[in-house]
Amino acid sequence: MQRASRLKRELQLLTTEPPPGITCWQNGNHINELRAQILGCANTPYEKGIFDLEVVVPERYPFEPPKMRFLTPIYHPNIDSAGRICLDVLRLPPKGAWRPSLNIAALLTSIQILMNEPNPDDPLMADISSEYKYNKQAFLKNARQWTEKYASQTTMPLEINEENHKSGTDLPKDSSVSQKRKGSNISGLSKKSRLET
Amino acid sequence: MESSDANNKGNINPSEAQRRSQLDRLDREEAFYHFVNNLSEEDYRLMRDNNLLGTPGEITEEELLRRLQQIKEGPPPQHVEDNRGAESTEDVSNGDSIIDWLNSVRQTGNTTRSGQRGNQSWRAVSRTNPNSGDFRFSLEINVNRNNGNPSTETEGEPSVEPPTGEDLENNQSDTETSRSASPPVLRQSSSPPVARQPDSEMSYAEELNEDISLQRGQRRSRSRSPEQRRTRARTDRSRSPLSPVSESPRRIHHNTSSQTPDVPLVGEAEGSSRTRQHMVIRQHAANSEMPTENTVLFSTSEARPVPQAAGSSETSGSAEPAAPGQRPPTIVLDLQVRRVRPGEYRQRDSIANRTRSRSQTPNNTVTYESERGGFRRTFSRSERAGVRTYVSTIRIPIRRILNTGLSETTSVAIQTMLRQIMTGFGELSYFMYSDSDADPGGSAPNPNVEMAEAQAGGGSGNSHSSHEGTEAGSGEAYEGSQEGGPTAGPRREGRNARGSVTFEESGSLPFLSLAQFFLLNEEDDDQPRGLTKEQIDNLAMRNFGESDALKTCSVCITEYTEGNKLRKLPCSHEYHVHCIDRWLSENSTCPICRRAVLASANRESVV
Repeated sequence: MQRASRLKRELQLLTTEPPPGITCWQNGNHINELRAQILGCANTPYEKGIFDLEVVVPERYPFEPPKMRFLTPIYHPNIDSAGRICLDVLRLPPKGAWRPSLNIAALLTSIQILMNEPNPDDPLMADISSEYKYNKQAFLKNARQWTEKYASQTTMPLEINEENHKSGTDLPKDSSVSQKRKGSNISGLSKKSRLET
Repeated sequence: MESSDANNKGNINPSEAQRRSQLDRLDREEAFYHFVNNLSEEDYRLMRDNNLLGTPGEITEEELLRRLQQIKEGPPPQHVEDNRGAESTEDVSNGDSIIDWLNSVRQTGNTTRSGQRGNQSWRAVSRTNPNSGDFRFSLEINVNRNNGNPSTETEGEPSVEPPTGEDLENNQSDTETSRSASPPVLRQSSSPPVARQPDSEMSYAEELNEDISLQRGQRRSRSRSPEQRRTRARTDRSRSPLSPVSESPRRIHHNTSSQTPDVPLVGEAEGSSRTRQHMVIRQHAANSEMPTENTVLFSTSEARPVPQAAGSSETSGSAEPAAPGQRPPTIVLDLQVRRVRPGEYRQRDSIANRTRSRSQTPNNTVTYESERGGFRRTFSRSERAGVRTYVSTIRIPIRRILNTGLSETTSVAIQTMLRQIMTGFGELSYFMYSDSDADPGGSAPNPNVEMAEAQAGGGSGNSHSSHEGTEAGSGEAYEGSQEGGPTAGPRREGRNARGSVTFEESGSLPFLSLAQFFLLNEEDDDQPRGLTKEQIDNLAMRNFGESDALKTCSVCITEYTEGNKLRKLPCSHEYHVHCIDRWLSENSTCPICRRAVLASANRESVV
């Protein structure tokens, strides 16, 4: 595959001219594992949040899309508790819309756009989706709370745990929601925050 | 890469090694591109079609060069007549790669593949005509036994001896011993391409030729001497270098073929004529006009006169009193997918349709017919001059295939066909089993045959397992497969077949892998379908010249350099040849604009 050489170029581009609000770097020295951060855009419930993503580049890249996953919990109709993202460009045709002329920067930008404009008609999280559709205020509130709780890191990524207990106490609803979620890292987080409260 | 460099600095030795290997790989990748760019178009195609290019970064440039030379110098496969120029190759490699090969076949082209595993050798050939959508796939498996074993001799001259239980047992043990003693050789061969007619109707004809004479011969050695003869005759005609001759001197005596005792392998050409089991699966696909999608095409013995006739004639010619030799079991699968003129088979069909279960005296033909949810299948057995021919005809609605467009035809068709083969085998064995049931000798229990459950065939209904009793060479094989047989039928609607495999070395049999292959691809229906190599080759290609504005291939994000070969899609987007070919082999749309590359693919690839 063209993976290695292409990745090299992509990383160069991502370093030199990253899309606004997006950073991406190699995770350790694993050539096929990247980490990315997306900043929540203004005027969205994710504003000021920093969302970490894991990017795994498959062997067959770019003929297969990279696998992207949120590491930071996010309250979003199209992103599930394990951080999986429901987005067409992340999947191969004919169901998906991935094509080799896309790249990691483009995907991250697409995800950023998805964050700004959820697609409740293709929901991954049914509850959140209906809330988004029929009770927007509640959705915005919850999303904002989650952002504060999990994504408002001022330090480095992956130290979310430290951030958690700041806001853990006053969010009873959140913790009940997070209890339902099954994503490994998230449930770990929520357990921890619950313990600490 | 600054960031990565920075990251890596902190890491110490183990990661250092890893990093170095990554760098090596990068170097090799660059070398790969360099190499590909310098290939002539012909060479490139040659290597691509033979899957010699591999994955960039995996092999060194020297290795690529070596492969290229090898393929150029290497003799083309003799038996494959290539209708479309030098695209067929013989790649003698490990039998394990049949899966890979199949995967590549799905993208089609003309390929030949053969391999050896233990005492089995296989050879597979596929041929595709992108224009008509015709497809032909054949697979031949040979199992070679050593005759050098003293035990082999147990099989006395059948003509002389009355068929006793002992005899049978002896034979069985014989088989076993020989098997264990010598590595079997599998071989696959191709058969001549079918006539292609650009018609609206698609019919799939599948012929399964399986030589099972061995088992039968053993079982009914008394009556069956002619069959054994045949084996010998075969030997003469086709010797493949693959299988060493290992026939016991004793036997050779008796055989006509003693002059050419060396190779007990069946040539492909002969494969058809020697068919013991003949399975014909035909799909009559209806176009929009044709409401008859579900109807069954029957090819009874009349429908397929050639193989039968050949078989019988051979038998008679080669029939000699003496030799009961073990004949190397050969399985020949022959798939043909082609278009048929509307009505071509109709008449015959309708006649055959009437036959519910009849017995024809002259041919000794028995026909069974069954219908299950859209599938109709017929079995007919005919016996002539001591040779039995089994014909199974299965008709499947092909609407789905038609709907998905020409470009998809092949891969879907292959899957269907192979599925049919596999399930068909189970059923055939069943059929034969019941047939042999009447034969007292046939029911002798054979300890030797292991019933191998298909690995793929877990409890779930989804699993396919292929069954071939062929190799076992003993009546017991059929017993084993009997279980599989009945189940295969009902499951067929779901396209799942479940059966038991009777190959002793089931694990090493390509067929099992085949079963797995289809299992794996069961959900493939929504997987992207690519273009065939021919379709890809039809796209415009040019060399990047100095005068061109600086451009970048959006697949590899590398700027074109002079001498690069570019392919231009109908939408005018250009890519490196090696980049876009790979994408198009699995997808049918332009990576930039997502427009369908093929007109025929338009329907499905609407964005």
